[in-house]
Amino acid sequence: MRRANINSWLLAAPLTAVLAVFLVLPILLIVAVSFWTADEFTFGPDFQFGNYDYLFGSAVAWKVFGLTMLMAAIVWALTLVIGFTVAYFLAFHIRTLKWQMVLFLLTTIPFWTSNIIRMISWIPLLGKNGLVNQALLGAGLIDEPLQWLLYSGFSVCLAFVHLYTLFMVVPIFNTMMRIDRALIEAARDAGASGFQILTNVILPLTKPGIMIGSIFVIALVMSDFVTTRFMSGSQLANVGRLIANDIGLLQYPSASATAVVLLVTVLLIIGAMLRVVDIRKEL
Amino acid sequence: MEKRPASFYVLGAFFAAFMLFLYGPTITIAILSFQGPDGGLTFPLRGVSLNWFRELFMDQAVGDIWGSFRRSLVLGLMVMVTTVVVSVMAGLAFRRHFAGSTVLFYLVVGSLVIPSILVSMGVGLLFDRTGLGSHWATTAFGAQLTWTLPFGILIMFAVFNRFNPAYEEAARDQGASTWQVFAHVVLPLIAPALVGVALFGFTLSYDEIARTILVSGSRNTLPLEIWGMTTNVTSPVLYALGTLTTLFSLTLVAAVIVAVTVMQRARARNGSDAGKGDL
Amino acid sequence: MSKMRYSRRSVLKGGAAAFAASALPAPMIWAQEIKDVVLRQAGTGVSAFNEVAAKVKEDLGFTLEMTALDSDAVTQRAATQPDSYDIADIEYWICKKVWPTGNLQAMDVSKIKNYDKIVGIFRNGKLAPDSVIAQGTAPHTVGFVEGPGSKTFVQEESGWMTLIPTIYNADTLGIRPDLIGRPIESWAELLNPEFKGKASILDISSIGIMDMAMVCEAMGAIKYADKGNMTTDEIDKTIAIFTEAKKAGQFRAFWKSFDESVNLMASGEVVIQSMWSPAITAVRAQGIPCVYQPLKEGYRSWGGGIGLSAGLTGLPLDAAYEYINWYLSGWVGGFLMRQGYYSAVPETSKEFMSADEWGFWFEGKPATGDIVSPQGTVIEKAGAVRDGGSFEDRMGKVACWNSVMDENQYMVRKWNEFIAA
Repeated sequence: MRRANINSWLLAAPLTAVLAVFLVLPILLIVAVSFWTADEFTFGPDFQFGNYDYLFGSAVAWKVFGLTMLMAAIVWALTLVIGFTVAYFLAFHIRTLKWQMVLFLLTTIPFWTSNIIRMISWIPLLGKNGLVNQALLGAGLIDEPLQWLLYSGFSVCLAFVHLYTLFMVVPIFNTMMRIDRALIEAARDAGASGFQILTNVILPLTKPGIMIGSIFVIALVMSDFVTTRFMSGSQLANVGRLIANDIGLLQYPSASATAVVLLVTVLLIIGAMLRVVDIRKEL
Repeated sequence: MEKRPASFYVLGAFFAAFMLFLYGPTITIAILSFQGPDGGLTFPLRGVSLNWFRELFMDQAVGDIWGSFRRSLVLGLMVMVTTVVVSVMAGLAFRRHFAGSTVLFYLVVGSLVIPSILVSMGVGLLFDRTGLGSHWATTAFGAQLTWTLPFGILIMFAVFNRFNPAYEEAARDQGASTWQVFAHVVLPLIAPALVGVALFGFTLSYDEIARTILVSGSRNTLPLEIWGMTTNVTSPVLYALGTLTTLFSLTLVAAVIVAVTVMQRARARNGSDAGKGDL
Repeated sequence: MSKMRYSRRSVLKGGAAAFAASALPAPMIWAQEIKDVVLRQAGTGVSAFNEVAAKVKEDLGFTLEMTALDSDAVTQRAATQPDSYDIADIEYWICKKVWPTGNLQAMDVSKIKNYDKIVGIFRNGKLAPDSVIAQGTAPHTVGFVEGPGSKTFVQEESGWMTLIPTIYNADTLGIRPDLIGRPIESWAELLNPEFKGKASILDISSIGIMDMAMVCEAMGAIKYADKGNMTTDEIDKTIAIFTEAKKAGQFRAFWKSFDESVNLMASGEVVIQSMWSPAITAVRAQGIPCVYQPLKEGYRSWGGGIGLSAGLTGLPLDAAYEYINWYLSGWVGGFLMRQGYYSAVPETSKEFMSADEWGFWFEGKPATGDIVSPQGTVIEKAGAVRDGGSFEDRMGKVACWNSVMDENQYMVRKWNEFIAA
């Protein structure tokens, strides 16, 4: 037991070191700075509970947290359905490792063009004079350009799904690859239909992958601020934007307070999810 | 080879639609990169030209695309390798419960959730106050690892999920050392998944802004440089860069296909059955 | 066109040589050592031009490393990491927040040769002796401190400057005359239901709120005691008016980066919005009509400047003063004025511009030949007149400056409510 512990510690040491130096220490320092009253900083002693009072007492803060969670829920559902289907196709319908690899690489390539450039390109794609509107107009499906394609809740969701589906695909695909093919054969031999195999064999065995993908997507959407800002044309606010707006005017204490509430919220959500499926237990 | 079921074609069509969706912005970028010399970043096209590809290789008014590209490439590879190695090690560690494993696990999840700008600011503050200074290859490297490692490690969770220990036990019974078990049994089994981790590591680093922005020292990475450039007039040069990146990546993928095919043929000739299994 | 550029180059060279002869009479050893100095400047892409760095190397011998970031990131670095830069290129309104961190050092104006020629706006707040000082964080109110090491701003020329002004301008609404088809004269038009779904303002709270104030005041809805330092009540009223408009669908989007404003306008998504001068030029360069519309209520103005890191001492500090003196000596001023900004010392810039350029950009006269951007593209044809006219006409009608208010925290919260509405 003790030797096993030491072995695990050694293996986990590099990770611990990185997180200690580049995550824990810096965050502690920020917290310390927000308390500072020293001459060097004027962010002053207003890291009091006033910031929390405001957060919990303000209708807007509740609304923004609500919207952020709603957005996370919608994007989670969409990426789950799309991601599961894509992973299923890759894992069970593509027969060679080589082609699985190639298709996976092809899904990654769009992300090697900088996100800023891709963000800019949504305007010519979805804007009033954009490709999609032109195509729809050309096909006679609409009479005037659709406004809601861009700078709307729709476009924010679209961009999230675009960015994060892959984060669902990868872990689900990996757990699917661990499913013993003999189990599926056995189910088929026992007369199970394709759909029954999917729901009774594959889906339960893929749960840890789904859970990991869900953690990715929920964490990414909840802490985002760039995508929401860009794609809604600043018309929608999520928690990340509250923090960014505060930081922009050097309101560090207020930003830290919001960040703490965000962090706790997301960890609680993820903690609850892990109660349903313990990804570590099923290793 | 057995006949494809009908579901293959339905799912295949779904996958194709998904790819079209993923490539939507890429296609727009490709079209607009051929914008005429007077054109901008949006439709309409004002003529068709190779002007912006030419401009891409000349000095920009603001920013240094190629210098920052080189830095991003090197940094991306550094982060990629580190992410794979550290994630595999941590993944192995997490296969057993150890004292402190729960704390470490939630720290990993926390690292994913915490607003990136706070990480960036904290790291910058720490290295500034300690007089160590910030540089893209040190502070930015570390800050990016706090971003890529959670992904790498959680993917390793999926990989080691229901990982059959029977192979390892068999090897150990035959007298293999711990290292031999890892190198000859575990590693080959998880290797394909590591390609995924590596790709994630590289892509996440290559495109990272929020955790890098305050800690890259006085030389920017590519996304930071482009971000800085958008605070002034930008041109379809950015699109030309996107188009070239995509073309280069597609060529790379084609090369990988050819290389793998050649290797498989060579192996098949040598009688090995590795990599042949129809999945 | 190419001839035009040639002639300017030769003018520049002559000017630089003359300057080098007069300003660098230092001994050879010093000149050798200073060549090894590397100054790191952090600023936004607005002024981080590669040509400026190249010219520094050519004229002064040392290296200027320019890092272009967005304005938020520059602010964070300036406020939290004094060792990560030698020179910070920031805006005056944020200086009010950054200076008290103690990360910048005051500059001794006796070492600044052209100090006396810096326009009055940055010294006593007055463009002309009889000018009325505009509301908001006017640059001179955060331009001086008591002395070295002091964190208290003073309202008179104390001899210790916080920032050396680099560029500044008077902002107004940009419009698409082809899509609007009638004259626009007032800020109030931004909320005119005629432009429902086609209007935009900035999404930088401290600047956006000023645009809002200009509009509300123009509509006659609110009378501000001081737009640049609103009471919580005034903030509430202002945000309420815009929240209503937002809910009614008045705005297509809000923009944050320069580039977004260009794309919104060029693509026709928006026909009226607050904008920056070079963004108008960029839209026009695409052959799309766009006017920087002077409005009867006046302009909202802003200014940027360079400050020295507190950690800068010795030879690098000498080099930094050299750089500042060079910055004010005209070449950069000419370079920036050709993009539609103003230089802090216009009279030195004049030597580095052709008579036609000077007439067009500064004096508001009709161009006699093609006006060419520093990048070499023709941006105005002969006969064109700058929107808003001359320097005096534009800077003389500044109604307010970008500001940091006393009720800053309250304002950000209200701004968040506006965005979330």
